[in-house]
Amino acid sequence: MKLRLSKTISCDLLILGAGGAGLRCAAEVLEKRPGTKVVAITKVAHPQKSHTSTAQGGLAAVDPKDPVDKPVYHMFDTWKGSDCMADQNVVRKIVEAGWDEILWLENRGMHFSRDMDGRLAKRTFGGHTINFGEASAYRAVFEADRTGKGIMDTLWGEVLRGGISFIHQSMATELLFSGERCAGAMVFCQKSGEFVAIKAKAVVLAMGGCGQVFKVTTNCRQNTGDHLSLAVQAGLPVMDPEAVQFHPTGIVGPGILASETLRSVGGILRNRDLEAFMEKYAPKMRELAPRDLVARAIETEIREGKGVFNQDHSIEHVWIDLRHLPEHVHRTQIPEVASFFKKFVNVDSRKELCPIRPSNHYHMGGVPTNSDGEVLRDPQKTVPGLFAVGECACASFHGFNRLGTNSLLELITMGRFAGQKALEYLEGELPELCGDIGENTFQTFAAYLQTKGQAKVGDVREKLRALMTEKVGVFRVEGGLREAVTQIAELKAQAMEIALVTRDLAMNQELVERWELDNLLTSAMLIATGALHRKDSRGGHFREDYPQRSPDLDSHSLLYMEEFGKVKIEKKPVDMSLFNEGGPHAEKFGMIERKY
Amino acid sequence: MSDSYEITMKILRYDPSTKKRWTQQYRLQAGGILRLTDLFRKINMEQDPSLAWNSSCEHGQCGSCAVKVNGKPLLACELLVANAVKLFGINQFFIEPISVGPVVRDLIVDLEPAYGRVESLKPYIMKRKENLYGTAEYRIAPQEMESYLEATRCINCFCCATACMSGPKNFLGPNAIMASMVRVLDPREAATEQRLSVLHGPEGVRHCHTSRACSQVCPKEIDVAHYVALAKAAQTKKHRET
Ligand SMILES: Cc1cc2nc3c(=O)[nH]c(=O)nc-3n(C[C@H](O)[C@H](O)[C@H](O)COP(=O)(O)OP(=O)(O)OC[C@H]3O[C@@H](n4cnc5c(N)ncnc54)[C@H](O)[C@@H]3O)c2cc1C
Ligand code: FES
Repeated sequence: MKLRLSKTISCDLLILGAGGAGLRCAAEVLEKRPGTKVVAITKVAHPQKSHTSTAQGGLAAVDPKDPVDKPVYHMFDTWKGSDCMADQNVVRKIVEAGWDEILWLENRGMHFSRDMDGRLAKRTFGGHTINFGEASAYRAVFEADRTGKGIMDTLWGEVLRGGISFIHQSMATELLFSGERCAGAMVFCQKSGEFVAIKAKAVVLAMGGCGQVFKVTTNCRQNTGDHLSLAVQAGLPVMDPEAVQFHPTGIVGPGILASETLRSVGGILRNRDLEAFMEKYAPKMRELAPRDLVARAIETEIREGKGVFNQDHSIEHVWIDLRHLPEHVHRTQIPEVASFFKKFVNVDSRKELCPIRPSNHYHMGGVPTNSDGEVLRDPQKTVPGLFAVGECACASFHGFNRLGTNSLLELITMGRFAGQKALEYLEGELPELCGDIGENTFQTFAAYLQTKGQAKVGDVREKLRALMTEKVGVFRVEGGLREAVTQIAELKAQAMEIALVTRDLAMNQELVERWELDNLLTSAMLIATGALHRKDSRGGHFREDYPQRSPDLDSHSLLYMEEFGKVKIEKKPVDMSLFNEGGPHAEKFGMIERKY
Repeated sequence: MSDSYEITMKILRYDPSTKKRWTQQYRLQAGGILRLTDLFRKINMEQDPSLAWNSSCEHGQCGSCAVKVNGKPLLACELLVANAVKLFGINQFFIEPISVGPVVRDLIVDLEPAYGRVESLKPYIMKRKENLYGTAEYRIAPQEMESYLEATRCINCFCCATACMSGPKNFLGPNAIMASMVRVLDPREAATEQRLSVLHGPEGVRHCHTSRACSQVCPKEIDVAHYVALAKAAQTKKHRET
């Protein structure tokens, strides 16, 4: 079978992934340089269907008019939350830019919730404090319980006004280069089944996370870590892939997020024997201990055989008990989340126990960038013309643990910075592509369509997801990680034996899932190898055999994997500029303990 | 926790390479709290990997998974097996794609034309009103926002447009009209007249039969018809004034 290029198109700026980060970047360029030809690709049917639209809680930013809050407090919270692994130059830049972004969104029509005076309302969020941990900060602006959707809808409107071109339900399969410079991408348009080469003066990766690597995840179906594959295939590194965040209360089955609010209003976690087990793990804080600690407590109960098996979804869980809460709490404080239990597990939270378990939530690791969003080739050098923003990138704002509401802040600020930097490329000429354009993509896809064998996409995928949840999830240990690495390689071999039933190209969902499976395998291999290599515990990465943070590992890891399973690791120092520059609060930005 | 159900799914299929359309039947045993999207995946894994369907968030927040089940447009990721059996009083479901655009394969519809109608009504502030408070942000009283906030919850799943009696032929459709009305009611928007003249134009509210089907099927329980009615009322008002 010979696959071929249907056409080549050219643009100024190519955005791969049209979630919040990609669209904010596009909007910046269209606003600063009207008439720029921007093309944005998205795997979903329309940008509004992107993962950003599901974000609920809010968006952190310090209002300069606030009498008590200060940017330095926000920087401190982010640094402490990161378990001392965030890059401080990035933390400062993002935090200082935050409020301007809120105003930008408000002025362009986002429907932020208001207080009685008509001003932007603010609320508190876990880990956000004033005066270096003294009290909770009112720092998160929000649009009811659909802040992400508000951002997406506003950005979608703005880029439409600016004249963007979207290519929907299509996926970037390969980065294209002109020498060292990134100069475009190959795109597979699912609906038509066509392969298109897109040439551009600058390219932005904004492809979101990789949550589908795990069996239980809050992430969208299309978050399959395609960006990690694209990067390593192009010989580029991935930074800190082992830094994965798990949310303690995913609704059993798919893992739909059940907000922290449930615990803050007094929900009690119980095991199979209905014992309130948090007392054992955090005698003082109990249910209100930080996310990672609660997730580990639940996982321990399950491992000790005190979980409950859910037959429908074939997975174990524990309970969150809300039955003792007064009627008005159910009615006024948790109506939305309570409705999720009703809707997705048919449980009435006022009368019945609600089934939950830790759920993969966010990827702190990703494609490494500097504070302008430029992708790094190695610790010192950037790739000309290539940017990465949002969850797929790792400028390392979150280090090894992200605070709630900091992701939305990151994606709009970094989107803007990358857009500003990309403008420099847009004045120049369109670079010429080198090599056989798209040959890698054609070979890969032709192989998928021609392979004969007994293996099935769904089987291999579900085996991989179960393996990752079990061995590379909340708890990690040398032996398990080694087994995981071996088994991921075995699954990769099994994947080579998958025969597809649908053999034509148009809207071939099987073909797309086959390609995504390879990306899941690559992402899994990077995460597992990163976790095996990092022999200490910090933030979302917990090694039972090395439960403490090790000062020898106070640096980022860059993983290169040009051949499957053959990983080369380099170190990159953590930027400590806030600490090094001195100043009145410098000691707060040293290697402090993460105690709450 | 829940019972097991014996389910029959009859799914309307379409193959773009042969242009063939047919109904295919699948039988499955399923727990009561599985969602229809879980059943589609189960079919893919256990019986037929070729069945194509759409989804993204799989918890009712993005509108990707809309299909018609026994004639009713709804979100497949929100419908639990036990609830479906209760809703329809039967263990057999006929599933077909929504009818707002051409079918690409099986249950997957090309949303380009449908979204095109929303985008043609400019879902953004066309002309910013001067900010009278002189503050960096506009001040909007919560009561003022009350008049349109409900409508901003729309996720463009096109269930309402599928149920609409007028069909998409010359009609912008209920969700597109609602999106434009959000900006008509938004105190930051200055271009209200311009918006209303499009809503009152040849593809606008005149096609609405006031059947309220849109409000009845909305998975977000938004009273879509109310916003279409507001657009109509603006026209009546203008008519009286001139
Ligand atoms: C339930 C939930 C609640 C959350 N709540 C909050 C919150 O309150 N506050 C907060 O700060 N954060 C929150 N988050 C996290 C936050 O939503 C995400 O981190 C953020 O939305 C990621 O945005 P993004 O633009 O990087 O990527 P996404 O929004 O995931 O967009 C990725 C885009 O890339 C496309 N894509 C992917 N692969 C390809 C490919 N190969 N080719 C082309 N396109 C591709 C996708 O289709 C999509 O358009 C929440 C997350 C979840 C799951
Ligand atoms: S998949 Fe998002 S609404 Fe169903």
